[in-house]
Amino acid sequence: MAGATRTRLVREDTSGADAVAALAVGVASVLFGLGLAAMFEVVGLTGTLAGVPTLPLLGGLLLVQGVAVVVFGVGSRFGAVETNPRPDAGIVAAVAFTLIWLVVGGLVASQVLGLGLAGWLLGAILTGAAGFAATVLPREDVGSTLPAGVVTALVGLVFLSGYIAPTSVWDLGWEQKASLTAEFMVPVVTVFCALLTGWAAAKAYGGFGARGRRVGAYLLVYLNAAAIVGVLFALVAFTVFKGVPGLFRGLTFGPGVGPESTVALFGASVTFSWPVYLPFAMNGVGLLNDLNGVLPAIVGTFWLVVGAVLFAVPLGVGAAIFLTEYAERGRFTQVVEVATNGLWSTPSIVFGLFGFAFLIPRFGNGKSLLAGMLTLGFMLLPLVVITSREAMLSVPDEYRDASAALGVTKWQTIRSVVLPAALPGVVTGTILGVGRIAGETAPILLTMAGGVFVPGSQTADVIGGFQFTAAPPFVSNPELLQATSALPYQLYALITAGVGASGNVGNPDQFRWATALILLLVVLSFYAVGIVTRYYFRRKLDYE
Amino acid sequence: MSETKQNPRKDTTQPLQTTSGESEEKLRSEWTEYEFDGRTKLAVEDLDVYYGDDHALKSVSMDIPEQSVTALIGPSGCGKSTFLRCLNRMNDRINSARVDGSVAFDGKEIYQDGVDLVELRKRVGMVFQSPNPFPKSIRANISYGPRKHGDIDTSLLAKVFGRSDEDAEERLVERSLRQAALWEEVSDRLDDNALGLSGGQQQRLCIARALATDPEVLLMDEPASALDPIATAKIEELIHDLAEDYTVVIVTHNMQQAARISDQTAVFLTGGELAEYGDTDQVFEDPQSQRVDDYISGKFG
Repeated sequence: MAGATRTRLVREDTSGADAVAALAVGVASVLFGLGLAAMFEVVGLTGTLAGVPTLPLLGGLLLVQGVAVVVFGVGSRFGAVETNPRPDAGIVAAVAFTLIWLVVGGLVASQVLGLGLAGWLLGAILTGAAGFAATVLPREDVGSTLPAGVVTALVGLVFLSGYIAPTSVWDLGWEQKASLTAEFMVPVVTVFCALLTGWAAAKAYGGFGARGRRVGAYLLVYLNAAAIVGVLFALVAFTVFKGVPGLFRGLTFGPGVGPESTVALFGASVTFSWPVYLPFAMNGVGLLNDLNGVLPAIVGTFWLVVGAVLFAVPLGVGAAIFLTEYAERGRFTQVVEVATNGLWSTPSIVFGLFGFAFLIPRFGNGKSLLAGMLTLGFMLLPLVVITSREAMLSVPDEYRDASAALGVTKWQTIRSVVLPAALPGVVTGTILGVGRIAGETAPILLTMAGGVFVPGSQTADVIGGFQFTAAPPFVSNPELLQATSALPYQLYALITAGVGASGNVGNPDQFRWATALILLLVVLSFYAVGIVTRYYFRRKLDYE
Repeated sequence: MSETKQNPRKDTTQPLQTTSGESEEKLRSEWTEYEFDGRTKLAVEDLDVYYGDDHALKSVSMDIPEQSVTALIGPSGCGKSTFLRCLNRMNDRINSARVDGSVAFDGKEIYQDGVDLVELRKRVGMVFQSPNPFPKSIRANISYGPRKHGDIDTSLLAKVFGRSDEDAEERLVERSLRQAALWEEVSDRLDDNALGLSGGQQQRLCIARALATDPEVLLMDEPASALDPIATAKIEELIHDLAEDYTVVIVTHNMQQAARISDQTAVFLTGGELAEYGDTDQVFEDPQSQRVDDYISGKFG
């Protein structure tokens, strides 16, 4: 292997150049965070940050960052920094930089120089070609830093120069009155440039070559992961901040402040008052209420999910057992597989229509909790089948062999070995499905929900509703056959009901956000139950 | 599916209830020359196995005497594991497999209609190549078979009605684990998950699990191939001891192992033929066929 490249085996100490590159990576991460914060309006573009106006601050950081990256790359090219670059930066980088420079050239030609169509096309192609050449022709150290650094420095200059004001609006002049605002574009461009130079700086920190590419990819992957977690967190935090005031409005503690509940068991009944009063979760909407709430919708969602799970899980697991353990692999199982996958991707409104047209005429000809449960149960069924099947297929055949060799029948093997080993997977699938059906609006609209503002008297009391009757079917439950509300439907109704109805609920905006928060909490609590169950089953399977 | 596995000759040549020594004697003299001490436990005659179009086992006939260790050796893919799996009809579980021929267990044909596979596999236990304990406690692993057969009942209802067999279960667990020489190592953690044991312990647990259903024959498919030398030595010692009460049939890749532990050795050669079957000392020291001699001396396979 004569001629194989050699790099330092041990990186003895951090050199000054390494420190600069690391600092550039750090600045890129900061810019990335600032850009995201500006995008979600945590940081205002018009305000100041640490005493400096935000937009020039971003511009300055971008300029410094761009220049630093270029200086590092060029310094490496002329031997000032010890690196191990490849001959070129690679085709992926070349394509990416070509596209970026196409856009930059086109923008400058059309917006700054004011050239017409032919002019900006020419400009775009010229700069694109320059970007391509700058990436491919020089060595990797220049090729992957120069195009990125110059773009970033340019953007920084534009921000610094005040060419774009924080309140600028760029009217696209389309029929649809589309426009780009600085409020949106500045954060997007900042995040993009941060990623670009962050990647270049990370490559520089790794000394280019294989190690540099690894460090660059590592940075992109981690920033990406951080951004996803950040966006999710922002989404939840946003809902919580908006929802908390409405949710806790009128919260009081103290003996006897809450609503009265009666627990009846075997004829004896105990009536007690809750020591806590949370109007939003304990009231319906009524004229005489001091504060209105969404109790009927909470209870409706709860029973809806419980009913759908009770209906779908046994059926789905049974079908999965048949498909994995009994049915011969062949055309039939393939068809069933395609059909279940297709059903799972069927739009929920189609399920809703089926419930509306098929179930409702069979359950008293009115929207009812039972019809909603079954409709959502049908929706949940395919996912339960798919995930249970996966879980059972992943149970090692060795268990089945071992059990058969002990003279244990197939059914007993399924019950005592296959099912316990597959349960965590089944539970995972059910959790996923519950997350979807609990937030489903369309089927509820068609099969279950009645009024928009639901009075407390419409709270479904499914357990208390069971009555024994003298005639068949001996048990009846009028509560199941009544229209009731559910949280997503309530939310939808509140938003579409408009201003006229707002008098019913006091502050409608607060009310909506609180409803959204409650929906989130209900779904998350179903999740929590599922995760605890799965943990319990896994513990039984794994050894500590 | 079961139709294809039937041998049409069975009902006439081997009546279900035949236990008289006479027909056994007749059959044995017909298809093997090898004479051994002791009663025949498993009599195999003209056994052919096909996987689809692949003829995996060609007309194999051999008698396996009871309370002894019979080793099956041969190169990879020679059909020795297939042969083993025929003895408790585990090949039924492979869709493409077709078995033709006769296997008699204590004189009763096992390839015929009406054979109770549960009962057959209770009597002919099996231990697999890689340890495969269930992801349950050690105790539950041992009592799994008897529990499912209804021999031991510790269910909630049994407890309520006072017919719970917890003592019997304890005795069974201890007996089986002692037989498998594992009791000393695990007696204080019977409720731990079996997957926490070492590989050798897991394999002995599988042996104990097979012994718990009180089998008469124990089939072992390379039980020590995944184990280190110390665990292997323990398993070999165990097999030696088990042969006092059980009929052991063991598949092994390791010729030294076969020589150390077995009473009879059957050599299968590529293509699924039984090349030689006889007393272990004789097979290893003075093989009748040249091919077997080559195989044993390492010139081939």
